[in-house]
Amino acid sequence: MNPSLKFLLVFIISLEISIKNSLTTNILLILAALIFLLWQRIKIKDILLLIAVPFIAAFTIFATLYWFQTQPDHQYAWILSSRVYVYVLTIACVAKTTTATELARSLEQNLHLPSKFAYGVLAALNIIPRMKAAVKQIRTAAMMRGMYLSFWSPMLYFKAILVAISAADNLAQGMESHGYVEGRARSAIIKIPLTSKDWCLFILILFLVNVSLFCFK
Amino acid sequence: MTKINLSDLSFFYQRQKKIVHNLNLQLPIGALSLLIGPTGCGKSTLLKIIAGIYPKYGGKMTGKIERHNLTYAMMFQNPSEQFTMATPRQEIIFALENLQLNHDEYERRLKDAVVFTQISKLLDQKITTLSGGEKQRVALAVLIAMNVDLFLLDEPFASVDPEARSFLIKKLAQLRDQGKTIIITDHVFNDYGPVCDQVFEFQGPTIVKLNQAQKAALFKPKRVTLHFPLPSEKETAVFNLNQTKIAQQRTLLAQDQLKIYQGKSTLITGVNGIGKTSFFKALTKMLPYTGHITFNDQEVSGWKAQRYLTHVAQIFQSASDQFLAVTVQDELNLSKKDRNHYFTDEKIKQALEQLDLTDHLHQVVYSLSGGQQKKLQILLMLMTKHEILLIDEPLAGLDANSVKQVLALMQESQQALQQTFLIISHQIAELSDFCDYHLQFAQRKLQYVSEVQHES
Repeated sequence: MNPSLKFLLVFIISLEISIKNSLTTNILLILAALIFLLWQRIKIKDILLLIAVPFIAAFTIFATLYWFQTQPDHQYAWILSSRVYVYVLTIACVAKTTTATELARSLEQNLHLPSKFAYGVLAALNIIPRMKAAVKQIRTAAMMRGMYLSFWSPMLYFKAILVAISAADNLAQGMESHGYVEGRARSAIIKIPLTSKDWCLFILILFLVNVSLFCFK
Repeated sequence: MTKINLSDLSFFYQRQKKIVHNLNLQLPIGALSLLIGPTGCGKSTLLKIIAGIYPKYGGKMTGKIERHNLTYAMMFQNPSEQFTMATPRQEIIFALENLQLNHDEYERRLKDAVVFTQISKLLDQKITTLSGGEKQRVALAVLIAMNVDLFLLDEPFASVDPEARSFLIKKLAQLRDQGKTIIITDHVFNDYGPVCDQVFEFQGPTIVKLNQAQKAALFKPKRVTLHFPLPSEKETAVFNLNQTKIAQQRTLLAQDQLKIYQGKSTLITGVNGIGKTSFFKALTKMLPYTGHITFNDQEVSGWKAQRYLTHVAQIFQSASDQFLAVTVQDELNLSKKDRNHYFTDEKIKQALEQLDLTDHLHQVVYSLSGGQQKKLQILLMLMTKHEILLIDEPLAGLDANSVKQVLALMQESQQALQQTFLIISHQIAELSDFCDYHLQFAQRKLQYVSEVQHES
């Protein structure tokens, strides 16, 4: 499916389940997302992480509502805690099947977001591995000068922020030196298609979710 | 012939002296021009002014530039700062989309650029994993694909090996013959002789064009055979390699046996991307290895980083990676805290003068020019107590005079402290007197060699 449409779909579903309570829908969505992820051959380790990490949040909510309320609402406890998993697993479906570059291109081409925004986000994502490497480099450089910088050391962050600022400035200059002009039209060499099949699937899934939301508790 | 006109051009950063002052310069269109001058004289700044990046992103400018509607693009001194996207292919697509080209045109231009710079193997690799020299070739490929009229290249070959360099310069001459205008800054002048149309030299805040005789003197080829002694087995080794493998996506080093000798300077040469810097990274515990590397008879991987790095340090290829503080003075103070006995306050003062850095004590380190950063970086690391310094491209981006200053300082320090230096460089001629041994990195092996043919 088209990346922007996928993103919109997950966004709308998340909004809807936040407003309307339906445990059945939540569970159906969780199952659907899990089946989809397995079908996409996600690594078992990743899926275990996707279940384990949100468990802390989900369990806290569940425990609060189930045991520590003056008038416990068991149904509501299940709904709220399952919601956490709906959010995490549906967005995982998007993340598993879309690269950052595809999403940025799609936002620019299909949703006609300003290219500055699309490439700004993309550039920020591309900087993450560089920042990771930079932090490692800074710590090594410091040890070579006889200083041990722990992960909460202000000097580490000061230098990391300097790296980020200079990276941001260089990035703007770099984009411009490669012909980017803010606000000017760009062509699309790699086209991200938005087909009628995408739309049909989008409407169908949304329709099914809504049927389930309004028919089941 | 029409010319790019710079008239009455003055430029300065805040509170600094003028980098160029009332400059009147005509750069011929359809020619290959070389822009030379000492480190920190303003070559990069001038290119960025012509590229329209300054004063937009900093500094103040008066005067006028006529570019006659030429399209232009610039290649930065540090290419890793220039990429928006994750891979070379994506970067080229990004640039061509900016120029509003269609898919067919893209394929044609991509092919041209890839053939031109020979980067087909690199196209879909992550840019962060490329070597310095590979990045420079990719940066050039982007400009070729953009097919601009005016190429502004800021030390485009600083980390490129000699073969690739001479290949690329010949290619640039072909572009010039097709009517492109090319302006290059460089400190190394070999290979330019037959192709360069004119040379402009920075002299203070102004620029003069060299006459034929001066130009000829600059390019006069000096072919030399350099000799290095071979180490004898009896010497003490600091590093011992045994069945060592270093890999980063592909295997870079597969070494049966190697010794690095104590108290000596060893030069390491090899083509771009062969794995010279990765070898240093393995020696500083930044990259894992398999097999054995021992330091003072203890496995490197078994050392605790914090302790190990008080013995072994690296002078990074990019100087700004080394800095931890804000101003030059702060950096010096930081290094003074744990310095060796040779660098007394008096000696440091003298070294700063020797390196022309005395006037910059209160300047922010990142605002120094590339060459000034390099000189400061080397001084800071020579002040430390390390027995072993791994020095990655100490001379890249330095003018002839700075090269002398830096080498003199390194030599004094080594004589006084008996340090072990391992030096990666393409500038063999400058280092041949300084280095005791020469290790050649080729076909995944490091080997001591005694004779090298070198052109400078």
